[in-house]
Amino acid sequence: MKVRHIRLVVTGMLLVAVVLVSGCAKKKPPEPTQAPPVPGETTTPAPAPTPAPPVETPPAPPGVTDAEFSPAFFDVDQSSLNEQGRSALDKNAKILRDHPDAKVEIEGHCDERGTVEYNQALGQRRAEAARDYLVAQGVTADRMTVISYGKDRPFSEGHDEGAWAQNRRAHFRVRS
Amino acid sequence: MSARRLPRYLVAALVLPGLIGLVLMAPRSGRAQSDVRIDIKGSGTRMKIWMEPLKPEGDRHSSNFALQADEVLASDLTASAVFRVARQGIDSPPSDAQVVVHGSFKVDGQRLRLVGEIHDLPGRRPVFAKEYSSALSDWRALTHAFADDVVLALTGEAGVASSRIAFIAQNGREKELWLMDADGARATQMTRDRSIAQSPSWAPDGSLILFTSYRSGTGTRIYVMPGAGGRVYQVSARAGLNTSAMYSPDGREIAATLSYEGNSEVYVMDARGGSPRRLTNHRSIDTSPSWSPTGREIAFTSDRSGAPQVYVMNKDGSDVRRLTYDLGYTDSPAWSPKGDRIAFVSRAGAGFEIQTCRPDGSDLRLVVSGGSNENPRWSPDGRHLVFASNRGGAFGLYVTDLDGSSPRKLDTGGRIALSPAWSPRLTPPGRMTARVGQSVQGGTR
Repeated sequence: MKVRHIRLVVTGMLLVAVVLVSGCAKKKPPEPTQAPPVPGETTTPAPAPTPAPPVETPPAPPGVTDAEFSPAFFDVDQSSLNEQGRSALDKNAKILRDHPDAKVEIEGHCDERGTVEYNQALGQRRAEAARDYLVAQGVTADRMTVISYGKDRPFSEGHDEGAWAQNRRAHFRVRS
Repeated sequence: MSARRLPRYLVAALVLPGLIGLVLMAPRSGRAQSDVRIDIKGSGTRMKIWMEPLKPEGDRHSSNFALQADEVLASDLTASAVFRVARQGIDSPPSDAQVVVHGSFKVDGQRLRLVGEIHDLPGRRPVFAKEYSSALSDWRALTHAFADDVVLALTGEAGVASSRIAFIAQNGREKELWLMDADGARATQMTRDRSIAQSPSWAPDGSLILFTSYRSGTGTRIYVMPGAGGRVYQVSARAGLNTSAMYSPDGREIAATLSYEGNSEVYVMDARGGSPRRLTNHRSIDTSPSWSPTGREIAFTSDRSGAPQVYVMNKDGSDVRRLTYDLGYTDSPAWSPKGDRIAFVSRAGAGFEIQTCRPDGSDLRLVVSGGSNENPRWSPDGRHLVFASNRGGAFGLYVTDLDGSSPRKLDTGGRIALSPAWSPRLTPPGRMTARVGQSVQGGTR
């Protein structure tokens, strides 16, 4: 009985957290479309763009959640898959085959021991390495997008080998 | 007054310590070794100047502002790395001060008038005098303009107190673009995207700031916004990476890292982000371009030899050569404004040190170590580097004067600060009238 109660409370808290996080992520101003100015050209300061009204994104397709996907981890300064990475991606390939409508975004991440710009490129390579592996496993490329966060969205905030190992990854998120 | 017209003993007093400094600073070999530290007391190479408090003219209001301006002026002159400042009322008068810096300060309603003067010592003959006026709200900028003119009058090249520094402030998972004066004052938030902004870089005329952001929600894109604030324009939104943007010295082109052709490569686009031309052709990661001040060459990072290393190539992508072979991992190149040196980071343990060398890779010098030190960027006079460091715990911004003295921390109001970019010299507000001596700054610099 008690266990069930705790489970309910935890599930409730998680739901609230998910709603809060997705709520924050929506407050993005619209993308500018006008041609940029060039140096020497006078720019008339225009009023700040008004944020677009929040759009409700439908929840992830039933049956697939981010948590079901396994991250592929990478060795230091490497963007080629190791044994753990291939095995994680084999599992992810199966999930994607079992859910042919599911689409994912693959995030590339790096540890903090590199510069912002280099890590961005390295994260891109990690995400692409995961995508290419899945394409080779028969997942169609248009079901996957890649994005690199470099060292800017670490999973572990620590500054030791354990944290760094956690942060060198290709991470999967279900796209709606 | 130009350096040419300075009294001869003054020129000697300025040039001699500099020459001695150069000899002392010459490394014992071409390699930078962590056990060979440049250790020169800043005072040994700095010109001693005596500073008298600015004389308030008028009411109590004038006195209050004059006291604050004194602090700004003393701080600017010390931060110039040219002077050792002794102040009347605080320090004992040095017997060997070569000039006295002084002036008057008058608040008249919402207007402000500063008369700045330099006299030589002990004769007290006039070396420089100039009248500055502006809105009272610009009192800091006016004081910076005087400080820059003091450096100009005594060295032949203006100081950089009037310049500004763009940087990235981190708040939780969000990183926004900020701007502040070179002394850390007047910090202003420029973006409110609740996203990740990165890698700011100034247009050569100071009018615009390029930066990278995730604000679209679809990965990195390159944007530009006026240095005075205002609307944000999109420069490159190609598939994959759009990062590391930097204007060419003539402002007509932008070098950047793009990956829409399948791999992270260095490109040059026109100043609006069109007509990309690919400069690198290697299956490795190529990124972080930095123009030479002539615009003829570009330094960049590539891991084509294994670990990341800094390379230099011609503007058309030809003649790629590795900068140094002495260090195992180098990145984040920044070409000095005079073209004589390239600053970059080299990995040391879990962090980075900052090194500089000549563009041909010779004369390597370790200039900053301890903690992790990242994204070095030159001041417009090439006398200083600003960089991000976690030497004090959380990441903050620091300035090194490249003379062996300890880096000084810039006050970013307790914010976690990253990726600084020093502006070019900016035109101070208000009006200036030279009274003694000719100034290249004039009123319309």
